[in-house]
Amino acid sequence: MSDESKKQLNRREFFSFVTVGWVAFTSAVAGLASLAFRYSYPNVTFDPEMDFIAGFPADYEEGVDERWKNGFGVWMVKQEGKLVALSNICTHLGCVPNWLPAELKFKCPCHGSGYYMNGINFEGPAPRPLERYKIALTPEGKIKVDKTKIYRYEKGQWDHPDSYLSV
Amino acid sequence: MKEFINYMADPIRSFPIMTILYILMMKYYRIIGTKKFAIGAVVASLPVVAWFCMDANFRAIILWPDNIPINIIIILIAWLTWYSLYRCAQNDARIEKGECPIEATPENREKVWTWPNLVYTELMCMIGATVFLVVWAIIFKAPLEEPANPTWAPNPAKAPWYFLGLQEMLVYFDPWMAGVVLPGIIVVGLMAIPYIDTNPKGNGYFTIKERPLAMWMFMYGWLVLWIYLIIVGTFLRGPNWTFYGPFEYWDFHKVVSEYNVNLSEFLWIKWLNMPMPGNIVLREILGIILTVAYIVVIPLWSAKTKWGKKIIENTGQIRYYIFIFLLLGMTSLPIKMVLRWLFSLKYIIALPEWELNL
Amino acid sequence: MAKKGVADYIRETQVWKSIFRHGPPTDARNRAAVVAGNVFLHLHPIKLKRSGVQLGYTWCMGGLTFFIFLALTVTGLLLMFYYRPTAEYAYNDIIALKEHVPLGIMREIHRWGAHAMVITVWLHMFRVFMTGSYKPPREFNWGVGVVLLILTLLLSFTGYLLPWDQLAIWAIAVGSNMAKATPFLGHGGPGAALAQIGDFVMVSDKNDVRFQLLGGRFVGEPALLRFYILHCVFIPLVVGVLIAVHFWRVRKDGGISAPL
Repeated sequence: MSDESKKQLNRREFFSFVTVGWVAFTSAVAGLASLAFRYSYPNVTFDPEMDFIAGFPADYEEGVDERWKNGFGVWMVKQEGKLVALSNICTHLGCVPNWLPAELKFKCPCHGSGYYMNGINFEGPAPRPLERYKIALTPEGKIKVDKTKIYRYEKGQWDHPDSYLSV
Repeated sequence: MKEFINYMADPIRSFPIMTILYILMMKYYRIIGTKKFAIGAVVASLPVVAWFCMDANFRAIILWPDNIPINIIIILIAWLTWYSLYRCAQNDARIEKGECPIEATPENREKVWTWPNLVYTELMCMIGATVFLVVWAIIFKAPLEEPANPTWAPNPAKAPWYFLGLQEMLVYFDPWMAGVVLPGIIVVGLMAIPYIDTNPKGNGYFTIKERPLAMWMFMYGWLVLWIYLIIVGTFLRGPNWTFYGPFEYWDFHKVVSEYNVNLSEFLWIKWLNMPMPGNIVLREILGIILTVAYIVVIPLWSAKTKWGKKIIENTGQIRYYIFIFLLLGMTSLPIKMVLRWLFSLKYIIALPEWELNL
Repeated sequence: MAKKGVADYIRETQVWKSIFRHGPPTDARNRAAVVAGNVFLHLHPIKLKRSGVQLGYTWCMGGLTFFIFLALTVTGLLLMFYYRPTAEYAYNDIIALKEHVPLGIMREIHRWGAHAMVITVWLHMFRVFMTGSYKPPREFNWGVGVVLLILTLLLSFTGYLLPWDQLAIWAIAVGSNMAKATPFLGHGGPGAALAQIGDFVMVSDKNDVRFQLLGGRFVGEPALLRFYILHCVFIPLVVGVLIAVHFWRVRKDGGISAPL
């Protein structure tokens, strides 16, 4: 009896047994860890409102309009016959720049990035210009800003007809 | 005089000054590491500090509650750095005479009882720390700002003080470098120290002479690249993260004209007088070549030098290359700072299309 | 024979003897017994080299870090009684801690203690480097120490968000945007733009590291709750385990370093 059991588990079989055991153990741990990882990504999140109606194009004067900045994080900038919805999130690390009317620039308080009125970066560490949001007219002639769609200058997307309104 | 100090405190000038002071300190540590020097330095600095504190703007910065820890750490580091140099100088003098370091004298090797020797020391430290914390808590209220408002950033918006060195790096580097890669290099570099530094000497006693390379590198990173940058970020950066001298009023409308230029713009527009090429890789070709040269050619070349050969001989190829990569990571910060100050250079490689800026 | 004092009578009671199994630590046998027999003191060896007890050598910074960690655990626990981690209550609860609760310096001690722990942990590392104490056989313990250093900073950083004031959310906004810039793992970092198949973006703001940190795409209530759990439970647990490893290895690697 004891001889037989010794034969059943020789050296090579023992090691393959151990290998299978370790592979199974490792994959079980990895599987559980990845489940726990996935657990940290909820399926539903409650985000703030991503689009809003911003009045009529005639409401805006030439220059930077800050009325939607606090509620929706958008500057309406009218310049050279174009009205754009400019994101107020600094492209460096996501702070909110301030509009300095005296110096005609947006200046970020966190690390000093500066942007011209049109959103192009010129000083400080910001790597790229501010982003534009999709802007369109509703059938009633009101402006609708959709923050889910962004247009980036360095990718040549500012020529896209949805990225500005001709006024 | 105050104007002059304000002028000199600008990182453009104060960073090289700090580096030079650091080199002098490490070179003449035997003079600095004497009690005479310490007493002289304290006596000389007291009236200077008092004079600094007469200034309302300076007082306002150092007494800001969140800055108190930095005042404490500056005093502690000044004292402990001097004290380490003192111990190193003592030991190195003994070693030169052929004696053993102080920690290795028969008296100090002798075993003593934990109770009471160690336990009482610990008790005293705990009582001291408790008293210190309670007094600190009574004198300085924990700051609380206005309720959170995601639509309006305070000016200046500063990170906690221990991250201000990193925030200062963010001025010179893109977030992926300053926020992820460089901290990663710091952590990996720290963990790698015991495996790279194979010098068996200096284990368990203070010495500079027996481990100069390790000391010079670590102390530079620690004192100049970490603590000094924290001091700059705390005391010398005001609204909009612009520079303010220690006696300067934090005027929100201080105008700083600062126009930074990418290397590619230097190459194509300034030097070659050509429009920027459309192909983005071609556009950044000079920066890419320089970067590759920095991280590939320098290690290979320095392995051929006398200095590199010696390290390879002592520690082996793998340790040498890990060491040199960590060293290059560390020196990339002062290099980028100097380039920014001298040429207003923004990025060596500027590929915002790929979010890859260097 | 000398007269017996009150202390001697107390020492002879059954209660005293049941707690302390040894006489007063005045002779060698009892000094050994007091350190070896006490669960807290037995972190120490019974005897150690004289260089290792000198403040001039150790600066006591490691010990102080541990002590402040304990103090922070206690004050943090007390603070938890009055604090609710929701955007609605957090800020008001912090004000209440100052105004409605006796001993209104609890938050101060916790906050300044957190700063003090960062200071002591840095200075501990500084001392360990200066005396070359990371050299063999202590290489691994130095690595554990570096991890503990990072965790100390993370503890302090996660605690920063909890008052839910301007300082808090902007520090977190900047911090989480650095996570966004992580190469390949953050949607704003290098490499993310390359991981794109046609219109399908593999690394977006809905599945990158920043989302995991914040529990959403913006710094909001889920972020507050996550940071609260990390700050109060998760990181302290990890730190506690690593402190145990760190202390154990100090003993096993030969105690406080001394010349070979």
